[in-house]
Amino acid sequence: MKFDDETTDVLIGGYLSADAARDDYEAVLASGGYLHGAVVVSKDLKGNLSVEQTDHMVREGAAGLGAIGFAVGLFAPPLLAATAVGAVIGAGAGKLLHHRTASKLEEQAGATIPLGGAGLIVAYPHSAAAKVEPAVTRAVQKVVGEAEGHHVQALKGALADAQRKMSETGT
Amino acid sequence: MSDLDRTELPIRRRPFRGVANRTLAGSEPDWDLIGHPEPPEGAPNVLLVLIDDAGFGNPSTFGGPINTPNYTRMAEAGLRYNRFHVTALCSPTRAALLTGRNNHAVGFGSVGEFSSGFPGYTATVPRDCTPWPRILAENGYSTAAFGKWHLTPDGQQGPAGPFGRWPNGWGFDYFYGFLGGDAGQWDPCLAENQKIIGTPAGFYDKDNPYYLPDAMADKTIEWLHGVRGQDARKPFFVYFSTGCSHAPHHVAPEWAEKYRGQFDQGWDRLREEIFARQKELGVIPADAGLTPRDAAFPAWDSVPDKLKAYYARQMEVYAGYSDNADYNVGRVIDAIDELGELDNTLIIWIWGDNGASMEGTITGSFNEMTMQNGIPLTDEMQLQLAERYGGIGAWGGQMMDPHYSAAWAWAGNTPFQWGKQVGSHLGGTRNPMVVRWPARVTEGGALRSHFSHAIDVGPTILDVTGIPAPSHVDGIEQEPFHGVSFADSLTDAAAPEHRTQQYFETMGNRAMYKDGWWLAVKTPRIPWVITPDALRPYAPGVWDPDADPAELYYLPDDFTQAHDLAADHPKKVQELKELFWAEAEKYKALPLLATLSAFFGILPPIPDAAPVEYRGDVQNVMSGMIPRMYNHSYSISADLLVPAVGAEGVIVAEADHLGGFSLWVQDGKLTHTYSMMGVFIYRQQADEPLPSGEVTVRMEFAADAPKPATGGEVTLYINDRPVGKGRMDHTVPIRFSAYAGMDIGRDNGGVVDLSYADRKPFAFTGTVKKVVFDVKPHPAAQDEEALHAAAHHGHAAHGLSQ
Repeated sequence: MKFDDETTDVLIGGYLSADAARDDYEAVLASGGYLHGAVVVSKDLKGNLSVEQTDHMVREGAAGLGAIGFAVGLFAPPLLAATAVGAVIGAGAGKLLHHRTASKLEEQAGATIPLGGAGLIVAYPHSAAAKVEPAVTRAVQKVVGEAEGHHVQALKGALADAQRKMSETGT
Repeated sequence: MSDLDRTELPIRRRPFRGVANRTLAGSEPDWDLIGHPEPPEGAPNVLLVLIDDAGFGNPSTFGGPINTPNYTRMAEAGLRYNRFHVTALCSPTRAALLTGRNNHAVGFGSVGEFSSGFPGYTATVPRDCTPWPRILAENGYSTAAFGKWHLTPDGQQGPAGPFGRWPNGWGFDYFYGFLGGDAGQWDPCLAENQKIIGTPAGFYDKDNPYYLPDAMADKTIEWLHGVRGQDARKPFFVYFSTGCSHAPHHVAPEWAEKYRGQFDQGWDRLREEIFARQKELGVIPADAGLTPRDAAFPAWDSVPDKLKAYYARQMEVYAGYSDNADYNVGRVIDAIDELGELDNTLIIWIWGDNGASMEGTITGSFNEMTMQNGIPLTDEMQLQLAERYGGIGAWGGQMMDPHYSAAWAWAGNTPFQWGKQVGSHLGGTRNPMVVRWPARVTEGGALRSHFSHAIDVGPTILDVTGIPAPSHVDGIEQEPFHGVSFADSLTDAAAPEHRTQQYFETMGNRAMYKDGWWLAVKTPRIPWVITPDALRPYAPGVWDPDADPAELYYLPDDFTQAHDLAADHPKKVQELKELFWAEAEKYKALPLLATLSAFFGILPPIPDAAPVEYRGDVQNVMSGMIPRMYNHSYSISADLLVPAVGAEGVIVAEADHLGGFSLWVQDGKLTHTYSMMGVFIYRQQADEPLPSGEVTVRMEFAADAPKPATGGEVTLYINDRPVGKGRMDHTVPIRFSAYAGMDIGRDNGGVVDLSYADRKPFAFTGTVKKVVFDVKPHPAAQDEEALHAAAHHGHAAHGLSQ
């Protein structure tokens, strides 16, 4: 399948534990849906970072996921709509979602994953959405962005779209 | 000393009955002068056991799924009481139990943390209502209390006291336990007599960690041996008040493992199983009906399959935790038996100071404080947070402060409706009681169905000891007990029922019992929901309590409150409503919902916001007494002496990784870690190391706005020069911890930042000369008021959960 034949989707999932993110990562890999790539990143409570990825783009001769800032701007875990005393616990997730160009996944994820948090990013052709998206069942926040065009540009566009949506849902 | 006048306490010094000449020649001593009052002849030892936050349907002794062999052996040699009642909340039941008076009348309309300016809600027992443990002590008993106290106001739990409302002030010669509403069983912040002694050193022993229930039994046995070593005859009174089974549900895995798989059927089926066993045991009538599930609780079948293991584990741990409590009470009983005094010991064992607690909300929680801080988390989120701290296999361990789902509590309250906080229904107010005393009770294994209440326990104990209720204590005329003795029911199943009338009120949920009829008036608010929308209908001028729906039950025919007769008996409803209001006024339960007054802007005067200084190595500042740093800007500064080789360790820390803050030094760099209930963890670090010598460091939090849970910017300073910064999007709105304390120069107990957990308490290797909290006042009076209100909302919310 050529990368630029159809719309590219990027799914971002947010998690409060590494276990949950890994569950979904493995479910996505086992979903049978075609993937351009997937990254699961987590940071433990001491600040140690863990990154695992499957980067099909390289196989396709394209630049790797890390090269396009794939893990940049994941999210701060969402939730917290209101306290008992009626305050909206502040926004803030959005400010972490600025898409920046970075080099390595570790650096990107290290800057955006909160202590104890985890994230999953999956890129796939829109035709695979019916298989891929249902596999992501544990994300406490999940958005899907999409874009058309040449493969790297499409991927960047879809990623930016997903990050924008994540920003809007962050409360 | 049978001629003692025991009606005025302390018992007066008797006149000298000897002869005192100018010299010993012809002088005759009066040896009674150096004695002490003794109880009436035959007065027995007394062991009063109170389990926390448990339901009628929890222990196997009453048909529950939790194995309680020691409770059962006491019942089989004694009596089961199946119509014993409590107040539906922790402190109020304890106050009623230990004073023999209705809880509001002694200032405990709510919990010890929540004092307000209404007489029924001061959390300050009046001196004309002397607790009966003091009466026992003054009459010659050795008295001791172990475990949960929860009767000392929040602001009085430090070295400045005053100590009149600490356990010693209530008449206990000795106390070992915790003053608050709950404590970690692994890492409690303990008090011994009139001193906060902090977290036991055994907490740091990985191979043989400290565990409070074990230590309570050890300390009780040690105390008993000490008393007997000194005096072979003096009777004792032990109040053994377990932290179990209140959250946090802490127990070693082997106890929880005993219940693996036993709750996979879910709470709906569990209720049916318990109900069947209760009938089989005869602890409920054969014609009793099982009350249905309220819509507030989800059906087990509606729980997603992927989450059922998470929910089932919650109950497995709770069951193991409770099983262990039974075991440790059994150890105390065995120790009394080894002394040869079991048959002369009156044992009263109450399984629950209120119904099982629904404060875990529907989801249950990895951290009991998420509910109190109003953090809305789904069950999937809760599961992930549990995974973050070790997974559901670690539920019950040191890394979490868990609470189970409200639906499990409802099952634990089988066969009744509702649970803790719901004073209108039996699920909150009826708990098992077992009485064993072979010297008087010969009908082992029998059932008693006399309607009785916590206020009756003290008068019953005094009755069997032969000690009269005093008319005066310390010269103050005493208000008579509201409770009445049920001692005649110990020996006579046909003894008349003395308690024919009783009011109940908790959080606005209320009931009036009279001659078998029970009026139940529950506010429509779901007990664990304290959102503004949920509270708005109860605002002053909005709420009409007489418009709340009323239910009517006739208990002689309807043990479980399964058949509402209100529509058929409107006159009886009205009669009992009027009687309730009269009783509420008489016993100071008014104004209703005084517990929630802070939510409606009724606040005490604004306190002095001057900086708070801690010099030297102050430790174990109770969590309710730390500077009010919530919901606004503040700074923490410290004067340090840093050796030439550098320093590391904790400068000041409050609580632990499930909520708290730590200002500490890592690799020579000033670091600030802040845990927003273990959900969000923030860490900021200086860009450069600390210099040596005299150094002043400061952490400033600049809040976005003075509002609950405000975000803001953190800046770290060394000698007034900024050296690091970061942002915290969410802060704790109400309270970091229910029990963990604040320490200067170290991080006692569980630590805030797990990166130094293997070095805990990670004491500072330099010198902390002084730590100063400056809770910066906001310039606008309007903001001041808002902050003040938020602080008291927090206080009230904490009260809702204890």
